[in-house]
Amino acid sequence: MKTLFQTSLRLAAVMLLLLGGAAITAHAQGARLQIDQLDSLANRASETVDVKLDERLMATTAKIFSGKDDEDIKEILKGLKGIYVKSFEFEKEGQYSPADVESVMSQLRGGGWSKIVGVRSKKDGDNVDVYLMMQGDQIEGLAVISAEPKEFTVVNIVGPVNLEKLTKLEGQFGVPDLGLDQPKPKKSKLVP
Amino acid sequence: MKMKLAIIGLIIATTFFAPLTSTFARGDDFDAVVKAIEQFYHVKHQSLPLLARAGMKGARTVARVRGGDYKRLADAGSVRLVFFEDQEFNSHGRIAGFKASIQSTLNEAWSPLIATLSAKDEEQTYIYIRDAGAKFHVLVVTIERREATVVEATVAPDVLAMLMKDPNEMGKTLTDDAALNNNQEPIP
Repeated sequence: MKTLFQTSLRLAAVMLLLLGGAAITAHAQGARLQIDQLDSLANRASETVDVKLDERLMATTAKIFSGKDDEDIKEILKGLKGIYVKSFEFEKEGQYSPADVESVMSQLRGGGWSKIVGVRSKKDGDNVDVYLMMQGDQIEGLAVISAEPKEFTVVNIVGPVNLEKLTKLEGQFGVPDLGLDQPKPKKSKLVP
Repeated sequence: MKMKLAIIGLIIATTFFAPLTSTFARGDDFDAVVKAIEQFYHVKHQSLPLLARAGMKGARTVARVRGGDYKRLADAGSVRLVFFEDQEFNSHGRIAGFKASIQSTLNEAWSPLIATLSAKDEEQTYIYIRDAGAKFHVLVVTIERREATVVEATVAPDVLAMLMKDPNEMGKTLTDDAALNNNQEPIP
Protein backbone atom coordinates (compact mmCIF):
# COMPACT_ATOMS: atom_id res chain seq x y z
CA MET A 1 0.00 0.00 0.00
CA LYS A 2 2.83 2.32 0.97
CA THR A 3 4.61 1.51 -2.31
CA LEU A 4 1.46 2.31 -4.27
CA PHE A 5 1.16 5.62 -2.45
CA GLN A 6 4.80 6.47 -3.15
CA THR A 7 4.41 5.52 -6.82
CA SER A 8 1.30 7.71 -7.08
CA LEU A 9 3.17 10.61 -5.52
CA ARG A 10 6.05 10.18 -7.96
CA LEU A 11 3.63 9.98 -10.88
CA ALA A 12 1.85 13.12 -9.69
CA ALA A 13 5.19 14.94 -9.41
CA VAL A 14 6.16 13.85 -12.92
CA MET A 15 2.75 14.96 -14.27
CA LEU A 16 3.15 18.35 -12.57
CA LEU A 17 6.63 18.76 -14.04
CA LEU A 18 5.36 17.84 -17.51
CA LEU A 19 2.44 20.24 -17.27
CA GLY A 20 4.69 23.00 -15.94
CA GLY A 21 7.16 22.36 -18.72
CA ALA A 22 4.41 22.52 -21.35
CA ALA A 23 3.16 25.84 -19.92
CA ILE A 24 6.67 27.31 -19.95
CA THR A 25 7.22 26.13 -23.53
CA ALA A 26 3.92 27.65 -24.66
CA HIS A 27 4.80 30.97 -23.03
CA ALA A 28 8.34 31.03 -24.47
CA GLN A 29 7.00 30.14 -27.89
CA GLY A 30 4.91 33.33 -27.85
CA ALA A 31 3.96 34.54 -31.29
CA ARG A 32 5.85 31.82 -33.16
CA LEU A 33 3.38 29.66 -35.07
CA GLN A 34 3.95 26.00 -35.83
CA ILE A 35 3.80 25.85 -39.61
CA ASP A 36 6.20 23.03 -40.46
CA GLN A 37 3.22 20.65 -40.70
CA LEU A 38 2.45 22.37 -44.03
CA ASP A 39 5.70 21.16 -45.59
CA SER A 40 4.06 18.11 -47.19
CA LEU A 41 2.03 20.49 -49.42
CA ALA A 42 5.25 21.02 -51.38
CA ASN A 43 4.67 17.60 -52.99
CA ARG A 44 1.52 18.94 -54.67
CA ALA A 45 2.48 22.60 -55.12
CA SER A 46 3.81 23.92 -58.39
CA GLU A 47 5.85 26.53 -56.49
CA THR A 48 6.86 26.53 -52.83
CA VAL A 49 8.72 29.26 -50.99
CA ASP A 50 9.84 28.67 -47.43
CA VAL A 51 11.63 31.54 -45.68
CA LYS A 52 13.01 31.14 -42.20
CA LEU A 53 14.85 33.95 -40.50
CA ASP A 54 15.05 32.31 -37.11
CA GLU A 55 15.99 33.85 -33.76
CA ARG A 56 19.68 32.99 -34.15
CA LEU A 57 19.86 34.58 -37.58
CA MET A 58 17.91 37.64 -36.41
CA ALA A 59 20.42 38.07 -33.58
CA THR A 60 23.18 38.49 -36.15
CA THR A 61 21.36 41.07 -38.29
CA ALA A 62 23.20 43.90 -36.52
CA LYS A 63 26.44 42.37 -37.83
CA ILE A 64 25.00 41.70 -41.30
CA PHE A 65 23.36 45.09 -41.82
CA SER A 66 26.06 47.39 -40.50
CA GLY A 67 26.39 49.67 -43.53
CA LYS A 68 25.10 53.23 -43.70
CA ASP A 69 22.58 52.26 -46.38
CA ASP A 70 21.12 49.61 -44.12
CA GLU A 71 19.86 51.92 -41.35
CA ASP A 72 16.21 51.52 -42.44
CA ILE A 73 16.36 47.74 -42.51
CA LYS A 74 18.25 47.61 -39.23
CA GLU A 75 15.52 49.73 -37.64
CA ILE A 76 12.74 47.43 -38.90
CA LEU A 77 14.53 44.26 -37.85
CA LYS A 78 15.54 45.65 -34.45
CA GLY A 79 14.04 43.49 -31.73
CA LEU A 80 12.42 41.04 -34.15
CA LYS A 81 12.84 37.41 -33.17
CA GLY A 82 11.90 35.78 -36.42
CA ILE A 83 10.36 36.04 -39.86
CA TYR A 84 8.74 32.89 -41.24
CA VAL A 85 6.99 32.57 -44.58
CA LYS A 86 5.49 29.54 -46.27
CA SER A 87 3.87 30.07 -49.63
CA PHE A 88 2.39 27.41 -51.91
CA GLU A 89 1.11 27.90 -55.45
CA PHE A 90 -0.92 25.15 -57.08
CA GLU A 91 -1.88 24.43 -60.68
CA LYS A 92 -5.36 23.25 -59.76
CA GLU A 93 -7.89 24.14 -57.10
CA GLY A 94 -8.47 21.89 -54.11
CA GLN A 95 -4.84 20.89 -53.69
CA TYR A 96 -4.77 21.96 -50.06
CA SER A 97 -7.47 21.10 -47.56
CA PRO A 98 -9.44 23.11 -44.99
CA ALA A 99 -7.58 20.99 -42.41
CA ASP A 100 -4.29 22.50 -43.60
CA VAL A 101 -5.67 26.00 -43.04
CA GLU A 102 -7.22 24.98 -39.74
CA SER A 103 -3.87 23.64 -38.47
CA VAL A 104 -2.68 27.26 -38.49
CA MET A 105 -5.94 29.05 -37.66
CA SER A 106 -6.45 26.94 -34.53
CA GLN A 107 -3.27 28.44 -33.08
CA LEU A 108 -4.64 31.93 -33.60
CA ARG A 109 -7.77 31.41 -31.53
CA GLY A 110 -7.05 32.79 -28.09
CA GLY A 111 -3.48 32.82 -26.87
CA GLY A 112 -3.37 36.60 -27.16
CA TRP A 113 -4.04 36.77 -30.89
CA SER A 114 -6.70 39.13 -32.26
CA LYS A 115 -7.89 39.47 -35.83
CA ILE A 116 -7.43 42.99 -37.16
CA VAL A 117 -8.29 42.42 -40.81
CA GLY A 118 -10.47 39.78 -42.45
CA VAL A 119 -11.21 39.87 -46.16
CA ARG A 120 -13.55 37.40 -47.87
CA SER A 121 -14.20 37.39 -51.59
CA LYS A 122 -17.03 35.08 -52.64
CA LYS A 123 -16.32 35.79 -56.29
CA ASP A 124 -12.62 34.95 -56.26
CA GLY A 125 -12.65 32.70 -53.21
CA ASP A 126 -9.86 34.72 -51.63
CA ASN A 127 -9.59 34.80 -47.84
CA VAL A 128 -7.05 36.99 -46.11
CA ASP A 129 -6.78 37.31 -42.34
CA VAL A 130 -4.33 39.45 -40.42
CA TYR A 131 -3.79 38.74 -36.73
CA LEU A 132 -1.79 40.61 -34.10
CA MET A 133 -0.53 39.40 -30.76
CA MET A 134 -0.45 42.25 -28.26
CA GLN A 135 1.35 42.52 -24.95
CA GLY A 136 -0.05 45.68 -23.43
CA ASP A 137 0.52 48.38 -26.04
CA GLN A 138 3.31 46.49 -27.73
CA ILE A 139 2.86 44.21 -30.72
CA GLU A 140 4.47 40.85 -30.01
CA GLY A 141 3.74 39.20 -33.30
CA LEU A 142 1.92 39.29 -36.60
CA ALA A 143 0.34 36.57 -38.68
CA VAL A 144 -1.06 36.83 -42.20
CA ILE A 145 -2.98 33.89 -43.61
CA SER A 146 -3.91 34.16 -47.25
CA ALA A 147 -5.99 31.28 -48.61
CA GLU A 148 -6.85 31.54 -52.29
CA PRO A 149 -8.14 28.73 -54.50
CA LYS A 150 -4.71 28.09 -56.01
CA GLU A 151 -2.46 29.70 -53.42
CA PHE A 152 -1.91 29.36 -49.70
CA THR A 153 0.46 31.68 -47.84
CA VAL A 154 1.30 32.04 -44.17
CA VAL A 155 3.49 34.88 -42.91
CA ASN A 156 4.53 34.95 -39.27
CA ILE A 157 6.63 37.76 -37.81
CA VAL A 158 7.72 37.31 -34.20
CA GLY A 159 8.69 40.26 -32.03
CA PRO A 160 7.80 43.95 -31.77
CA VAL A 161 6.51 44.73 -35.26
CA ASN A 162 6.40 48.32 -36.41
CA LEU A 163 3.32 48.29 -38.65
CA GLU A 164 4.21 51.59 -40.32
CA LYS A 165 7.61 50.29 -41.34
CA LEU A 166 6.45 46.77 -42.11
CA THR A 167 5.69 47.67 -45.71
CA LYS A 168 9.43 48.08 -46.26
CA LEU A 169 9.85 44.36 -45.62
CA GLU A 170 7.52 43.48 -48.50
CA GLY A 171 9.49 42.10 -51.41
CA GLN A 172 12.62 41.73 -49.25
CA PHE A 173 13.96 38.70 -47.40
CA GLY A 174 11.49 36.59 -49.38
CA VAL A 175 8.49 38.30 -47.73
CA PRO A 176 5.75 38.48 -50.37
CA ASP A 177 3.72 41.57 -51.16
CA LEU A 178 1.20 41.59 -48.33
CA GLY A 179 -0.81 44.47 -49.71
CA LEU A 180 -0.14 46.47 -46.56
CA ASP A 181 -0.28 49.98 -47.95
CA GLN A 182 1.46 52.84 -46.21
CA PRO A 183 -1.05 55.09 -44.45
CA LYS A 184 -1.60 57.98 -46.78
CA PRO A 185 -1.61 61.51 -45.35
CA LYS A 186 -5.00 63.23 -45.61
CA LYS A 187 -5.20 65.74 -48.40
CA SER A 188 -5.71 69.24 -47.08
CA LYS A 189 -8.04 71.46 -49.02
CA LEU A 190 -6.35 74.27 -50.79
CA VAL A 191 -7.59 77.62 -49.65
CA PRO A 192 -7.68 80.09 -52.52
CA MET B 1 53.51 15.18 -11.11
CA LYS B 2 50.98 12.93 -12.82
CA MET B 3 48.43 15.73 -12.67
CA LYS B 4 50.89 18.18 -14.30
CA LEU B 5 51.65 15.68 -17.07
CA ALA B 6 47.94 15.13 -17.67
CA ILE B 7 47.32 18.88 -17.95
CA ILE B 8 50.27 19.35 -20.32
CA GLY B 9 49.02 16.40 -22.38
CA LEU B 10 45.55 17.90 -22.54
CA ILE B 11 46.93 21.28 -23.67
CA ILE B 12 49.05 19.64 -26.39
CA ALA B 13 46.11 17.52 -27.56
CA THR B 14 43.81 20.56 -27.67
CA THR B 15 46.37 22.68 -29.55
CA PHE B 16 47.00 20.04 -32.20
CA PHE B 17 43.58 18.53 -32.62
CA ALA B 18 41.25 21.54 -32.26
CA PRO B 19 41.97 22.96 -35.75
CA LEU B 20 41.69 19.45 -37.16
CA THR B 21 38.30 18.95 -35.51
CA SER B 22 37.14 22.28 -36.89
CA THR B 23 38.25 21.33 -40.40
CA PHE B 24 36.44 18.03 -40.16
CA ALA B 25 33.30 19.71 -38.82
CA ARG B 26 33.28 22.07 -41.80
CA GLY B 27 33.89 19.29 -44.24
CA ASP B 28 31.33 17.00 -42.63
CA ASP B 29 28.33 19.24 -43.32
CA PHE B 30 29.23 19.80 -46.95
CA ASP B 31 30.03 16.13 -47.54
CA ALA B 32 26.92 15.02 -45.67
CA VAL B 33 24.71 17.15 -47.92
CA VAL B 34 26.40 15.74 -51.04
CA LYS B 35 25.87 12.23 -49.66
CA ALA B 36 22.21 13.00 -48.85
CA ILE B 37 21.62 14.02 -52.48
CA GLU B 38 23.37 10.90 -53.74
CA GLN B 39 21.32 8.64 -51.50
CA PHE B 40 17.95 10.26 -52.16
CA TYR B 41 18.30 10.56 -55.92
CA HIS B 42 20.67 7.63 -56.55
CA VAL B 43 23.15 9.88 -58.35
CA LYS B 44 26.91 10.42 -58.13
CA HIS B 45 28.75 13.72 -57.94
CA GLN B 46 31.38 14.36 -60.58
CA SER B 47 34.63 16.16 -61.01
CA LEU B 48 34.40 19.41 -62.89
CA PRO B 49 34.35 18.46 -66.60
CA LEU B 50 37.05 19.90 -68.81
CA LEU B 51 34.53 21.68 -70.98
CA ALA B 52 32.98 23.34 -67.95
CA ARG B 53 36.40 24.45 -66.78
CA ALA B 54 37.04 25.95 -70.18
CA GLY B 55 33.65 27.68 -70.09
CA MET B 56 34.38 29.11 -66.67
CA LYS B 57 37.78 30.33 -67.78
CA GLY B 58 36.07 32.11 -70.65
CA ALA B 59 33.47 33.63 -68.35
CA ARG B 60 36.18 34.77 -65.95
CA THR B 61 38.11 36.36 -68.79
CA VAL B 62 34.96 38.20 -69.89
CA ALA B 63 34.41 39.34 -66.31
CA ARG B 64 37.96 40.65 -66.11
CA VAL B 65 37.72 42.41 -69.46
CA ARG B 66 34.60 44.18 -68.24
CA GLY B 67 36.76 45.73 -65.56
CA GLY B 68 34.96 46.85 -62.43
CA ASP B 69 31.72 45.01 -63.20
CA TYR B 70 32.72 41.73 -61.62
CA LYS B 71 33.25 41.60 -57.92
CA ARG B 72 33.98 38.31 -56.23
CA LEU B 73 31.38 37.60 -53.57
CA ALA B 74 32.98 34.72 -51.72
CA ASP B 75 36.31 34.97 -49.95
CA ALA B 76 39.20 33.72 -52.06
CA GLY B 77 39.93 30.07 -51.39
CA SER B 78 36.79 29.58 -49.31
CA VAL B 79 34.65 28.01 -52.00
CA ARG B 80 33.80 24.32 -52.12
CA LEU B 81 31.82 23.22 -55.12
CA VAL B 82 30.38 19.90 -56.28
CA PHE B 83 28.53 19.27 -59.55
CA PHE B 84 26.08 16.59 -60.56
CA GLU B 85 25.67 16.64 -64.33
CA ASP B 86 23.47 14.82 -66.81
CA GLN B 87 21.76 12.65 -64.22
CA GLU B 88 18.09 12.22 -63.37
CA PHE B 89 16.76 14.11 -60.35
CA ASN B 90 13.28 12.72 -59.89
CA SER B 91 11.77 12.87 -56.41
CA HIS B 92 8.78 10.73 -57.50
CA GLY B 93 6.32 13.05 -55.76
CA ARG B 94 8.33 13.18 -52.53
CA ILE B 95 10.08 16.51 -52.93
CA ALA B 96 9.08 17.43 -49.36
CA GLY B 97 10.85 14.30 -48.17
CA PHE B 98 14.09 15.50 -49.72
CA LYS B 99 13.68 18.88 -48.01
CA ALA B 100 13.28 17.11 -44.68
CA SER B 101 16.33 14.94 -45.36
CA ILE B 102 18.53 17.98 -46.09
CA GLN B 103 17.24 19.67 -42.94
CA SER B 104 18.03 16.66 -40.76
CA THR B 105 21.46 16.22 -42.36
CA LEU B 106 22.74 19.64 -41.34
CA ASN B 107 23.63 20.33 -37.74
CA GLU B 108 21.89 23.03 -35.71
CA ALA B 109 24.60 25.61 -36.35
CA TRP B 110 23.16 26.13 -39.84
CA SER B 111 20.14 28.43 -40.07
CA PRO B 112 17.86 27.72 -43.01
CA LEU B 113 17.26 30.99 -44.82
CA ILE B 114 15.16 30.08 -47.80
CA ALA B 115 13.97 27.04 -49.69
CA THR B 116 12.22 27.24 -53.05
CA LEU B 117 10.76 24.11 -54.58
CA SER B 118 8.93 23.32 -57.76
CA ALA B 119 7.64 19.75 -57.68
CA LYS B 120 6.52 19.82 -61.32
CA ASP B 121 9.85 20.99 -62.70
CA GLU B 122 11.91 19.19 -60.03
CA GLU B 123 13.69 22.45 -59.26
CA GLN B 124 14.90 23.24 -55.77
CA THR B 125 17.15 25.79 -54.08
CA TYR B 126 18.17 25.67 -50.43
CA ILE B 127 20.24 28.33 -48.69
CA TYR B 128 21.68 27.85 -45.22
CA ILE B 129 23.75 30.33 -43.22
CA ARG B 130 26.19 29.73 -40.37
CA ASP B 131 27.90 32.35 -38.23
CA ALA B 132 31.70 32.18 -38.62
CA GLY B 133 32.95 34.89 -36.28
CA ALA B 134 33.51 38.03 -38.31
CA LYS B 135 32.08 36.39 -41.45
CA PHE B 136 29.43 33.89 -42.49
CA HIS B 137 29.42 30.50 -44.12
CA VAL B 138 26.76 30.09 -46.79
CA LEU B 139 25.66 26.73 -48.16
CA VAL B 140 23.67 26.67 -51.39
CA VAL B 141 22.09 23.53 -52.84
CA THR B 142 20.58 23.87 -56.32
CA ILE B 143 18.79 20.99 -58.00
CA GLU B 144 17.24 20.86 -61.45
CA ARG B 145 15.82 17.97 -63.45
CA ARG B 146 19.17 16.94 -64.95
CA GLU B 147 21.81 18.66 -62.80
CA ALA B 148 22.64 19.88 -59.33
CA THR B 149 25.30 21.90 -57.51
CA VAL B 150 26.34 22.21 -53.89
CA VAL B 151 28.34 25.30 -52.96
CA GLU B 152 29.80 26.31 -49.62
CA ALA B 153 31.51 29.67 -49.30
CA THR B 154 32.59 32.21 -46.74
CA VAL B 155 31.22 35.70 -47.29
CA ALA B 156 31.66 39.04 -45.59
CA PRO B 157 28.65 40.52 -43.73
CA ASP B 158 28.14 43.29 -46.35
CA VAL B 159 27.97 40.70 -49.13
CA LEU B 160 25.47 38.65 -47.14
CA ALA B 161 23.39 41.79 -46.51
CA MET B 162 23.29 42.44 -50.24
CA LEU B 163 22.34 38.84 -51.02
CA MET B 164 19.71 38.57 -48.28
CA LYS B 165 17.67 41.40 -49.73
CA ASP B 166 16.80 39.12 -52.62
CA PRO B 167 17.16 35.56 -51.35
CA ASN B 168 15.46 34.14 -54.45
CA GLU B 169 18.39 35.31 -56.57
CA MET B 170 20.96 34.64 -53.85
CA GLY B 171 21.52 30.97 -54.68
CA LYS B 172 22.04 31.63 -58.37
CA THR B 173 24.35 34.58 -57.74
CA LEU B 174 26.53 32.65 -55.30
CA THR B 175 26.68 29.55 -57.50
CA ASP B 176 27.66 31.66 -60.52
CA ASP B 177 30.29 33.37 -58.41
CA ALA B 178 31.64 30.03 -57.22
CA ALA B 179 31.87 28.83 -60.82
CA LEU B 180 33.90 31.92 -61.70
CA ASN B 181 36.11 31.63 -58.66
CA ASN B 182 39.55 30.28 -59.54
CA ASN B 183 40.46 29.41 -55.95
CA GLN B 184 38.24 26.39 -55.47
CA GLU B 185 39.40 23.54 -53.34
CA PRO B 186 40.21 20.45 -55.40
CA ILE B 187 37.19 18.29 -56.09
CA PRO B 188 37.65 14.62 -55.21
